[in-house]
Amino acid sequence: MKEEYDVIVVGGGHAGIEAALAARRIECSVILISAKMSRIGEMSCNPAIGGISKGTIVREIDAMDGSMAKSADATRLQFRMLNRRKGPAVWGPRVQSDADAYAREQQKYLRKSGVFVLEDEVTELTGKTERVGGVKCRKKGIIKGKTVILAAGTFLKGRLFRGNELWKGGRIGDISADSLESDLVKRMFHVERFKTGTPARIVRKSVNTDVLEVQKSEKSDFIFSFDNSRISDKEDICYATHTNRDTMEITKEYLHLSPLMAGRIEGTGPRYCPSFEDKVVKFPDRKSHKIYVEPMGYRSRYFYLNGLSSSLPREAQEKMVKSLPGFEKSVISDYGYAVEYSYFHNSEIEDTLKLRRTENVFIAGQICGTSGYEEAAGLGLIAGANGGRAAKGMEPIGMSRMISYIGVMIDDVVRKGADEPYRMFSSRAENRLHLRQDNADRRLYDTANRLGVLSEKKRDKLLENLKEAEKVMNILERETIEGIKMTKWCRRTGNNAEKAVAEVPSLYGMDMKILSSVMLDEKYSGYIRRNLRRHESRRNSEKINLKEIESYMNIDEICWESREALQREKPDTLAEAEKIKGIRPTDLQGLLIYLSRKRSTWNTTDGSER
Amino acid sequence: MPYTEKSKKDNISPEIICALATPEGTSALSVIRVSGKGSFEIMEDVMLLERNRLRGMRRKVGNVTENKRIIDEVVAISWPEGRSFTGEEMVEITCHGIPSSVREIIELLIRKGARRAEPGEFTKRAFVNGRMNAVQVIALAASWDKEKDKRTYPGETEQVCRKMLNEIERAREKVEGNIEFGEMHLDSNDESIGNILIELVKKAENFRRIALSIEKSKRVVIMGPANSGKSTLFNVLTGKESALVSEEPGTTRDGSIGYLEIGGRKIQLCDTAGTDGFGLDKAASEAVIKGLDGTERVIWMSEGGRIPPADEVRSKIGEIIEIEAKSDINKKKNNTELIRISSFTGEGLDELKKRISELPGSMSLSGAAKRIEEEIKGAMEYLSSNELDMAAELMNEAEIETRRILGKGENIQISVERALAGMCVGK
Ligand SMILES: Cc1cc2nc3c(=O)[nH]c(=O)nc-3n(C[C@H](O)[C@H](O)[C@H](O)COP(=O)(O)OP(=O)(O)OC[C@H]3O[C@@H](n4cnc5c(N)ncnc54)[C@H](O)[C@@H]3O)c2cc1C
Repeated sequence: MKEEYDVIVVGGGHAGIEAALAARRIECSVILISAKMSRIGEMSCNPAIGGISKGTIVREIDAMDGSMAKSADATRLQFRMLNRRKGPAVWGPRVQSDADAYAREQQKYLRKSGVFVLEDEVTELTGKTERVGGVKCRKKGIIKGKTVILAAGTFLKGRLFRGNELWKGGRIGDISADSLESDLVKRMFHVERFKTGTPARIVRKSVNTDVLEVQKSEKSDFIFSFDNSRISDKEDICYATHTNRDTMEITKEYLHLSPLMAGRIEGTGPRYCPSFEDKVVKFPDRKSHKIYVEPMGYRSRYFYLNGLSSSLPREAQEKMVKSLPGFEKSVISDYGYAVEYSYFHNSEIEDTLKLRRTENVFIAGQICGTSGYEEAAGLGLIAGANGGRAAKGMEPIGMSRMISYIGVMIDDVVRKGADEPYRMFSSRAENRLHLRQDNADRRLYDTANRLGVLSEKKRDKLLENLKEAEKVMNILERETIEGIKMTKWCRRTGNNAEKAVAEVPSLYGMDMKILSSVMLDEKYSGYIRRNLRRHESRRNSEKINLKEIESYMNIDEICWESREALQREKPDTLAEAEKIKGIRPTDLQGLLIYLSRKRSTWNTTDGSER
Repeated sequence: MPYTEKSKKDNISPEIICALATPEGTSALSVIRVSGKGSFEIMEDVMLLERNRLRGMRRKVGNVTENKRIIDEVVAISWPEGRSFTGEEMVEITCHGIPSSVREIIELLIRKGARRAEPGEFTKRAFVNGRMNAVQVIALAASWDKEKDKRTYPGETEQVCRKMLNEIERAREKVEGNIEFGEMHLDSNDESIGNILIELVKKAENFRRIALSIEKSKRVVIMGPANSGKSTLFNVLTGKESALVSEEPGTTRDGSIGYLEIGGRKIQLCDTAGTDGFGLDKAASEAVIKGLDGTERVIWMSEGGRIPPADEVRSKIGEIIEIEAKSDINKKKNNTELIRISSFTGEGLDELKKRISELPGSMSLSGAAKRIEEEIKGAMEYLSSNELDMAAELMNEAEIETRRILGKGENIQISVERALAGMCVGK
């Protein structure tokens, strides 16, 4: 162990791991401190990675040389491409994982990378808030660091609930980071409370799987990682079942004992991952809900009940589970529970994931107000990269929401804040047609390069992909099919890479994945350009220069008080004008009308945007 | 913008405007509107009321007096900022409909610091202050237009547009819900989205019809020397044989008018007599040029593009589309700047239409309505080919466009500005 580290990462969850690895890749000395060594990389909730837009984040992480994709590939038990019949821009790769193997795999990456891993609890930051000196640990005492990355997940003043039971912890069997939380509160950081929950785990052999719907893996050559990582050869079966009238009646009967309904939890929970009691309250008319029965690992002794999250008392959970077909004689190994924890209000966070009021503390993962492994890992990678850059005296780099989901997420979290745990959805991205899982490597190459997070090996692989894509593009621009330029031919519904190769000999031998990805870029290009232009013009209108306005007093389009305020403040740009107290949106519009009339740019508006 | 003399000499506030809101001429009652911060003070002055008597929402009966002379007995109704038609502090004066006393009241108000409103200024302020949206303004403008069918009232058009927006939102919710959750939770199915879209297409078509019917058309005048093919082009564009066409120069004497729709914009196309004619033709052509008021656009055509637009036309019209006519006869391309057109082979017609649709200045409400309709129809096609990503993209576009119309969106807003210029004072 060293005297001082470039980067101290607090927390070994999905965020902390990517943060530590990214900082290592930009050659920082890194220490990762986590409460329990053996639980580093643990999946606190469901044994799966990916999904719609979430799977795309995993690929974005891989494009920036993170480890999540590789570990997910190496430990997968099933694969499915969600939305396969809804258009390639919304495809969502998802794997069923061996949870334990996944955590071990991630721990292996940490070890190999040279991150120093310490088992201890961080109790406070040291030094001044504006510039912290490091952290203080319960056992090891003070550890100095140039930058600190907080990735404490659901652990900040974590409280666990089940019926009337209440105990401290970030998740079951783990500590609660109460000391660290109170230090942060003492330092006047604005934190708020969120809650989330998890379902019961069931002893596998107590379930009669014969009566359950079987869900097998899709046959596919899909790999999360862009450099063809090892794919697990293990496969396990998932099942599905449905809740019935009884499940619902039991839930209703015990509803008054729910810690949430009883008002003992204040934090807001995710609307999109509701507990079963939430569903019963919100959708009283639905007679049945689908429940996925997923093994916790390869031939694992436990099942995870996806869809039956609950924090009702044990007795209620027991009855609920037993009401499911096939579960009549089931045994619960771990009961479901809810967790309430503190997270940072968005006003504290900058778009580099640095805390606004400090020079050298960055945050990542659930404590930013998000939820989900993929979200946490994506934030972790950026916090790690920027934290590492800060330690090395380099400028941090922001992410654009037009080129990645990670960018969308950071922009949303920082600018809008969240009133419930933020989960990624594809519809949050206005440039969705561009933010696909198939082109993440190419989309993010420049950003990753600028961040400096690519290892040499990864960069070579990505460059190879980029070159291949360029070759494909050249052919598309040159060749025609039935007299139609290929770039146009790509736009037609139903035309794909296989057809293209059959028609155009020069495409023969090209990487099919890259070919089809480039063809999709071409297919959507008009819309993508429109989205980018719109984004630009929105940004530009914020940047509109007001310096040339000598006097506001004569601008009829603005109300009188605002004219005076503008005249007094003389803002340089429209964005600055917006911030002046008392300036209303209508004044800004008035200003735009005035300016556009002055420049008579009538026809440069909508017509040219198309 | 420099600080002008006019605003300096106004002693209370340069932005108070006033105008007669009812038709001119003798009538039982007339209404004068005064709007802008300080309107209450001016009114209190001219009615010899104590300060703040008009504050809030008040109704005061009294005399408008100047130097102890009573001009008229009036009712003044005051509207506080945020609650009036314009969104500003505003007074409505109901007085007797005698032109001389109306004039005197307005002149008195001007001496006290108000200024005469420009055409459409009240409405413009209402718009700028967020009291009206684009649909309302355009519909209002149209409802004042005497030649227009009076059955479409402003509120109705807006209602139709709002309902359409609601439906678009609902459809989008369905599509997005299906994308995000359809795979794991099977409660939304594509069929119901299809049905919503079918209804939506009808709504969009209806809205476009209304938009077209209330919107003023843009005037485009075809000019040029005799026998350059103006009438032929006119016929090809309007699709009817209404103009007199013959091989003999000078057969189009009376300007002929036709309507067409290009890129969702309503265009009034005028065919005219040759600019180089004699006698009657000459008189007709001169009348056309004299009649140009600068708001219309001109297509100038001459055979092979040999004759440039007449100076009088050039000085009046900013935007002239120049055409090299009869390209089928004149094979050699003379001037690359010009559009080569042949009404017989159809060469260049698409380009011409594109240029016409790009002409600035006319209202884009129906253009927007057309785009919305196309967007929704496109979404429906993508839905049927299982491309929800594209369907969602187009629906999103339709929503942006609709919001732009209803809200104070960037482009429509500017067109509204222009629409206001043609409105009568005081409305
Ligand atoms: C009960 C429960 C239910 C959940 N349900 C869902 C769900 O339904 N949907 C969903 O998307 N996500 C759910 N999650 C969230 C998911 O687990 C997280 O989003 C994800 O794990 C967050 O990653 P992270 O890296 O931010 O934090 P975590 O994975 O929570 O990791 C935090 C790590 O930091 C360590 N740590 C914390 N404080 C300290 C300290 N002071 N000193 C040392 N070490 C510290 C912990 O030991 C832990 O290893 C749930 C989590 C829990 C616990």
